[in-house]
Amino acid sequence: MNPVVTGVGFITPIGNDRVSVERSLREGRHGIEAVEFLENPEISVKVAGTVKGFRVDSTSWRDWSWPQEFAIPKDVLRGLAPHGVYAICAVEQALAHAGLGARDVAMNAETGLYCASAGSAMLLHHNLAKTRVARGMRGNPLGVVSSIAGTLNFTLAAHFQVTGAVCGFVSACASSSHALGYAIDDLRLGRLKRVIVVGAEELNADSVLPFAHMRALSLQSDPRWASRPFDTARDGFVAAGGAVALVVETRACAEERGARVLAETAGWGQAADGYSIAASHPEGAGLKRAMARALADARVAASDIDHVSAHATSTPVGDSAEAIAIGELFTAGGFRPKVAATKGLTGHALSMSGVMQAAFGVLSIDRGFIPGNPHLDVACPESRGLDLPRATVDTAPVRILSNSSGFGGSNVCHVLAAP
Amino acid sequence: MPQDPSSLATQVLARFPAEVLEAFERFRKNGDAGALEALVVAAVVDYRPSPAASSVVVTDRTRLVEDLGYDSVAVAELVFFLEDLFDMTITNADILGVATLGDLRDCIIRKLAEKSGAA
Repeated sequence: MNPVVTGVGFITPIGNDRVSVERSLREGRHGIEAVEFLENPEISVKVAGTVKGFRVDSTSWRDWSWPQEFAIPKDVLRGLAPHGVYAICAVEQALAHAGLGARDVAMNAETGLYCASAGSAMLLHHNLAKTRVARGMRGNPLGVVSSIAGTLNFTLAAHFQVTGAVCGFVSACASSSHALGYAIDDLRLGRLKRVIVVGAEELNADSVLPFAHMRALSLQSDPRWASRPFDTARDGFVAAGGAVALVVETRACAEERGARVLAETAGWGQAADGYSIAASHPEGAGLKRAMARALADARVAASDIDHVSAHATSTPVGDSAEAIAIGELFTAGGFRPKVAATKGLTGHALSMSGVMQAAFGVLSIDRGFIPGNPHLDVACPESRGLDLPRATVDTAPVRILSNSSGFGGSNVCHVLAAP
Repeated sequence: MPQDPSSLATQVLARFPAEVLEAFERFRKNGDAGALEALVVAAVVDYRPSPAASSVVVTDRTRLVEDLGYDSVAVAELVFFLEDLFDMTITNADILGVATLGDLRDCIIRKLAEKSGAA
């Protein structure tokens, strides 16, 4: 029996709750805005997928603010990174959506927490710089736990009193897809009955600009067009922040407590490119293998998939590679699932992107729609055989294949199915 | 490059009420013991981690851990703040001798005396 999803939580550029996220996806509303980093108008990055309703740009948690409906006590806040604030809000939403209270998960040895984030470059830099000023004589006692990769696991596990298992995943932009994959495995193996899966990233100069220096970001200034996956005019990704959480449970656990099942996590697969530090294999070899493995794990054929949620970030190389891989697996066999790249609306939220797409897929299945590609104008040659609807399709997908790829050629794919 | 200690103190006190900043100025100018006491009380109150302890009236004999809910990390944060404020190094051995607010104030007075003796 496959595990199921019973709750989703969103703090994303296109909405901070599932109702507004669904509306943005259905209406093709993007969440990308003009930004200026480091008060320097000369910086070539002009837009980003911003998180609204939060102020977490300061290096001091005392300056932060977040939507009032979420309670974050001071003893928790002091150890958080900015993206940890997003993550707590997303997890609280997901638990409430699943019909669970804090008491249901606290000290429950059957509940785990699997996290993905890149840590907080901003706080890491700030704290180490202070230590250097003090010539190594002192430093922020919470500098480590609030900033290194793993900060989400440490802080959320303590806050939600998780006793089943706590783990973090670091595979760049495939990280939260790995978190979901290993959550599924541990549920299937009977090691746990429930796992909270959360991915989060902050959005600030320290998290974004290093990607500009890799020449990976779009330099366009029009928020409407900067992120345009599969388009001939795409020129890089638009960075985004936020947090997304899923509550994944064994079907028995969900049924025992009468929870509403939103979608089934039918299977997953992973494979690597063995090719480059950062760039995708030009023909998406690892991604194609990961997709095939996900289908095999879910015991479905390519013909059973009616929607592919593409990883496509709007980079020239990555989108071409993915389009080729999808074409070889589906189009070549005569199958044309509807392909959508939601990063056109959200931007690319790095570590959290996999769980964000999975949560969008859960909404698609549960609410009956397939997002479109409203920013796509002229499809690139590699993607011309794909069915890339521009507008939202008002049909509930039965099975979705959701793709992720990360630096180092790490590819992770999930099959989500109607319950 | 080492930072000017008094400007660092002003930075770390920026979020406190004006009377705490004024206390720091009085302490800095003439070593006012009452001002030092006010600074230590303000810091101890500010770094309390546990909201449950918010109603406790702070006196000389208030215990950091038992009465105010301090844990080891919160003690480390408080010490880090006081080190910046008074430009001193507080060692683990110093911390082990501190149980109450009065102990902490006396520890700071002792460290300041050591510092001025060394200077």
